[in-house]
Amino acid sequence: MEITFEHVTHSYNPNSPTANLGLDDVSFKIQDKKFTAIVGQTGSGKSTLVRHINALLKPTSGTITVGDRVITPETNNKNLKPLRKQVGMVFQFPESQLFEDTVEKDIMFGPMNFGASADDARESAHKMIKLVGLDESLLEQSPFDLSGGQMRRVAIAGVLASDPETIILDEPTAGLDPVGRQEIMDLFKSLQQDGKTIILITHNMDDVANYAEEMAVIHRGKLIAQGIPQEVFNNQELLKEDLLTLPKSAAFAKELTEKGFSFEKLPITINELGTEIEQQLNGD
Amino acid sequence: MEKIISIKDLNYTYPEAKRSAIKNLSLDIYKNEWLSIVGKNGSGKSTLTKLIDGLIEADSGTIEVAGQIINEENIWEARTKIGIIFQNPDHQFVGATVEDDVAFGLENQGMPREEMVKAVDEALILVKMADFKERDPQSLSGGQKQRVAIAGVLATKPQIVIMDESTSMLDPDGRKTVLNLVQQLRSQQDLTIISITHDIEETELSQRIVVLNDGQIVSDGKPEEIYDLGADLQKFGLEEPFTSELVSTLRDTIKLPDGYLNEEELKEQLWKLHSNM
Ligand SMILES: Nc1ncnc2c1ncn2[C@@H]1O[C@H](COP(=O)(O)OP(=O)(O)OP(=O)(O)O)[C@@H](O)[C@H]1O
Ligand SMILES: Nc1ncnc2c1ncn2[C@@H]1O[C@H](COP(=O)(O)OP(=O)(O)OP(=O)(O)O)[C@@H](O)[C@H]1O
Ligand SMILES: [Mg+2]
Ligand SMILES: [Mg+2]
Repeated sequence: MEITFEHVTHSYNPNSPTANLGLDDVSFKIQDKKFTAIVGQTGSGKSTLVRHINALLKPTSGTITVGDRVITPETNNKNLKPLRKQVGMVFQFPESQLFEDTVEKDIMFGPMNFGASADDARESAHKMIKLVGLDESLLEQSPFDLSGGQMRRVAIAGVLASDPETIILDEPTAGLDPVGRQEIMDLFKSLQQDGKTIILITHNMDDVANYAEEMAVIHRGKLIAQGIPQEVFNNQELLKEDLLTLPKSAAFAKELTEKGFSFEKLPITINELGTEIEQQLNGD
Repeated sequence: MEKIISIKDLNYTYPEAKRSAIKNLSLDIYKNEWLSIVGKNGSGKSTLTKLIDGLIEADSGTIEVAGQIINEENIWEARTKIGIIFQNPDHQFVGATVEDDVAFGLENQGMPREEMVKAVDEALILVKMADFKERDPQSLSGGQKQRVAIAGVLATKPQIVIMDESTSMLDPDGRKTVLNLVQQLRSQQDLTIISITHDIEETELSQRIVVLNDGQIVSDGKPEEIYDLGADLQKFGLEEPFTSELVSTLRDTIKLPDGYLNEEELKEQLWKLHSNM
């Protein structure tokens, strides 16, 4: 499903003296079946933005369209189930979405909530737990007796179990060990290749460079750039103003230019960087 | 070097758990050291910090903090020396406003009100959260919560600061700023830092890295020694540093020295090759 934001503004506590703008007139499109990354500094409005996609937050003004569903300031909480089934969200803090007394029940909750039988839901729980790199023996345990990274994986498994078309991931790899991070990122990529739309919030610019096809940059509630990562990471204005951090390869390439090397465009992945260096040193 | 924490033969199994979370672990931590603890999810890192802070009690073994073996009687005193920034900042918040929250630890120390107001302001300025003083901590963004949690602990001026993945949700610049701040306080206030992290770049700031696996220490050394472990890094859930990965893609066609190179060293090598062309 295509997702469209039209002039979306979100004000927290609009009628109080402490009102503050979480989103400020954001208009953009998130393309169907693509892998889109959303980046921006702490407090820039990323979580606020994505919470509008499944109507956890309603805009103060403006419209969000998700497929044929339209969300406006007047949208109430009735009849949101179809939308929530289509759009799954892994929250920034995994504990906030765990609540059952066993891991198994927790993962089964989503599918059953959307009408699956207990048997099917259980089967899916067993499948998902392995997919996120955990041992099946953990299914019997309380989700609150897990390590931080294990909880994160259970939260991801719970969302995937409902098989949503669009998957929103709010810093899903924070707290995962690096090997686990890569496995989980590969998993998201393969889900996208199977036809899902992936929306990833992250501070890891290497993950953006390696996995995303599109990226959007949020700054103080505003959308300040959108495009393919290769181009956005070469946007001189953003870089000059320190509004964007470079992936490691691009940052390293930039430093190499101080003596001798030159790059038409900054390479954003290790492979691109390696190839460029080899060409420049071996002269072929 | 003076020991500030000395752990001997520590064992811990969670009630009803089938496996031990910490197995026969011994570790000395020195005053003013920055120690990184790394390892896979579930390897026992957070459990170890909870044992050090006396939040859970070991099944066997001892933990000495600043010369005293901790027990039920003296744990409160030991705790005043230790500041823990927990993995989930929500577990840390007690106040209804950011300001109250940071003040809480100081109030417990019996700091006079006037001094406290000043200390709270200072701590919030250091982490760039002064503008959010009156907000409910629960309403902050993920990274803002982490900043406030850090301020709350730094304000109490502990001798030992334990950071359990406490910068995992900061943007790259914000993370650098906070880590530099911690580094600065370490030298000014003679702090000891124990930092649990999955971020290999963060470990470069430390003097020593301890690798935990399945409740045991499997490696203990200077960062460059640990980075040189090669394939074992993956086995313990770790990633290769950026430079090592780049060097391995280049080695086939470009001659580079053996061993771990940091960014500066690799740049020098590449520049040299370029100027000799
Ligand atoms: N419930 C709330 N009430 C008031 N202000 C809020 C609330 N939730 C968020 N905000 C504010 O809105 C702004 C955007 O917050 P948001 O959580 O969207 O940021 P973010 O980009 O996700 O940041 P991070 O990377 O730190 O998670 C922040 O300044 C935040 O303090
Ligand atoms: N409250 C608890 N009750 C029972 N078992 C627990 C509890 N907390 C953690 N465990 C288990 O103890 C082991 C060590 O957990 P710990 O939280 O120390 O890991 P960690 O190294 O901090 O992992 P992470 O990187 O995911 O935070 C794990 O197998 C975990 O499932
Ligand atoms: Mg957020
Ligand atoms: Mg932990």
